[in-house]
Amino acid sequence: MPTDASDALGSTSKDYRTTSGIPVKSVYSPDDIRDFEPLRDLGNPGEPPYTRGVHRDMYRGRLWTIRQLAGFGTPEETNGRFRLLLDQGATGINCVFDFVTNRGFSSDHPLAEGDVGQGGVAIDCLGDIVRLFDGIPIDDVSVSLVLSNPVGAGSIFATYLAMAQQRGIPWEKLRGTLQNDFLMETVVLTAPNILEPSFSFRLSVDVVEFCTQHLPQWNPISFAGYNYREAGADAVQEAALVIAHALAVADEMVRRGHPIDSFASRLSSFFTADNDLFEEVAKYRAARRVYYRLFQERFSPKDPRSSRLRFHVQTSGSALTAQQPLNNITRASYHALAAVLGGAQSLHVSAYDEALCLPSEAAALTALRTQQVLVHETGVTRTADPLAGSYYVEHLTDEMERRILAYLEEIDALGGLVRAVESGWVHRELMGTSYDREIAITSGEKKVVGVNCFTDDVPLQIELFQFPSALEQQRATLEELRLRRDQDAVDRALGRLREAVEGDENTMPHLIAAVQAGASIGECCDIFRALHGGWHQPLL
Amino acid sequence: MPLIKVVMAKMGFDAHYRGAMMVARHLVQRGMEVVYIGNRLPEEIVRTVIDEDAQVLGLSSLSGNHMVMVPRILRLLRQEGVDRVKVLLGGVIPTEDQKELLRQGVAAVFGTGSSLDAIADWIEAAVDHGSGPVQA
Repeated sequence: MPTDASDALGSTSKDYRTTSGIPVKSVYSPDDIRDFEPLRDLGNPGEPPYTRGVHRDMYRGRLWTIRQLAGFGTPEETNGRFRLLLDQGATGINCVFDFVTNRGFSSDHPLAEGDVGQGGVAIDCLGDIVRLFDGIPIDDVSVSLVLSNPVGAGSIFATYLAMAQQRGIPWEKLRGTLQNDFLMETVVLTAPNILEPSFSFRLSVDVVEFCTQHLPQWNPISFAGYNYREAGADAVQEAALVIAHALAVADEMVRRGHPIDSFASRLSSFFTADNDLFEEVAKYRAARRVYYRLFQERFSPKDPRSSRLRFHVQTSGSALTAQQPLNNITRASYHALAAVLGGAQSLHVSAYDEALCLPSEAAALTALRTQQVLVHETGVTRTADPLAGSYYVEHLTDEMERRILAYLEEIDALGGLVRAVESGWVHRELMGTSYDREIAITSGEKKVVGVNCFTDDVPLQIELFQFPSALEQQRATLEELRLRRDQDAVDRALGRLREAVEGDENTMPHLIAAVQAGASIGECCDIFRALHGGWHQPLL
Repeated sequence: MPLIKVVMAKMGFDAHYRGAMMVARHLVQRGMEVVYIGNRLPEEIVRTVIDEDAQVLGLSSLSGNHMVMVPRILRLLRQEGVDRVKVLLGGVIPTEDQKELLRQGVAAVFGTGSSLDAIADWIEAAVDHGSGPVQA
């Protein structure tokens, strides 16, 4: 069994490196940050370049949002979990959808049989979203809808907007976030019949554009660095891809004629918090600084909020292990600490049973309690950016910034992010990093407690969460929808949606009209797939 | 010795492909031929196994769809008379489900955290000599 500290984090005794490969010395001194100018590189919290955080007094002024993921089975079951989490002190909703829904297919699609309600809630139409948010004060609490893929994000968001209208809640009052990330659709995840990257990107910007005009408090896109990381990226690639994506969306919005200050403050990001504590903190700090500098340089915004990187953190799922699952509570606590030391605006702590099943009630509550312990017992919220000035952390932040900028140059040289995806470059990058890490684990070079060292079973069983299939109910919902709707009205609405796609019009108003007329989400998205589907994902 | 041929598939809508890709890449490194077919219906998966004359079928599930999809694939393989094919299952598979699927004819289950070499070693041994059920 390794007892030597040199075994930690994949380093050997001769070659200490962070997880993303930055060399680490045994001790740091003022010599290591000689180029560092506090005024230029740090500023004050709440001021450019935002290295120290986006608010002046950080968590004293506003605590991060405690936003635990929930979503499984039917809309009614997930509604119950929302209520439980809000009752127990969560301060935001974070709804996850099953893969069928997230890809904009109907629950009665032949491929969907095993996946309906698995890994997220199943939603097929406006009626489902009404039941999902029944009794939830959506004019008061902020709601994150983890609609990852632009193919389905617009349609499902359309049902959310139609539901708000039914309840008499003006769209201007809605606060929340969509993921709506074309890399999720084309790089990070896989599915049948994938949209062309350029079209998926266009749909995502349609939502950004629509929200800019109608939902001033909504974050219409969240660049899902978390998921880039889960798909294989290291910390540098994660931050660089998030920033590349933000720049690409800003470019496209400006091209469509929107001034930078009309939308940029609503662009939001989403990072992981993984094992390498100080590297993760440096990542958040460096990402804020690079984001600020590049947005200033390329878009010259007048509003300081336009170049501020705000982000949600989810503690790493892939760092959790199926073996000795209670160790995951410890891991997730360190991950959450990194997020808070790095100045996150919102946090989800992953459940200890995540590598085994969907979170049970006990695991979901323990994750919530982990956040509450952090807030109320550790004292980490007392002062902003507590690690500032540490020779090591400032050195790592500088080094991370250099590497992020170098990676962004590579992406620019490829013709930008959409082109880099189309060519398969992003896929190859993530797979390469991921495979190297797997080999390091397989060979034992990188230690994972309970997996390749200290593997003696801890005599403890955890209870796995099980719930009934949502398929029957969703099938019945769809059957009833098709029976009672005005088919001519649905056909007309879908026809107009098709014309909008073909004519480069914004798709959002037509999606809202279609779901109000009684179209299912699957029917709307089938139009996208019919016109721009069938992209071959360059995986192998 | 002819190359060992492995068909790898995701079932239904399960969107996590990283594990399947890591295994695919490693098996190729170890000298096997891998045909990755992405997200498919059980019928298409079995058809590919037959058309490719593969000795091994690798299935990956992290979405919870394994108890619906895997038994159906096993049944189709039996119906088509290709039940000598070794079916490997990887991903997030609860212990109780592992037991049940091994009983139904899955040859080995490799959950998250399994070593890539262990998977490749197992395949080499099983294709050479045949092998009993393994739970990892």
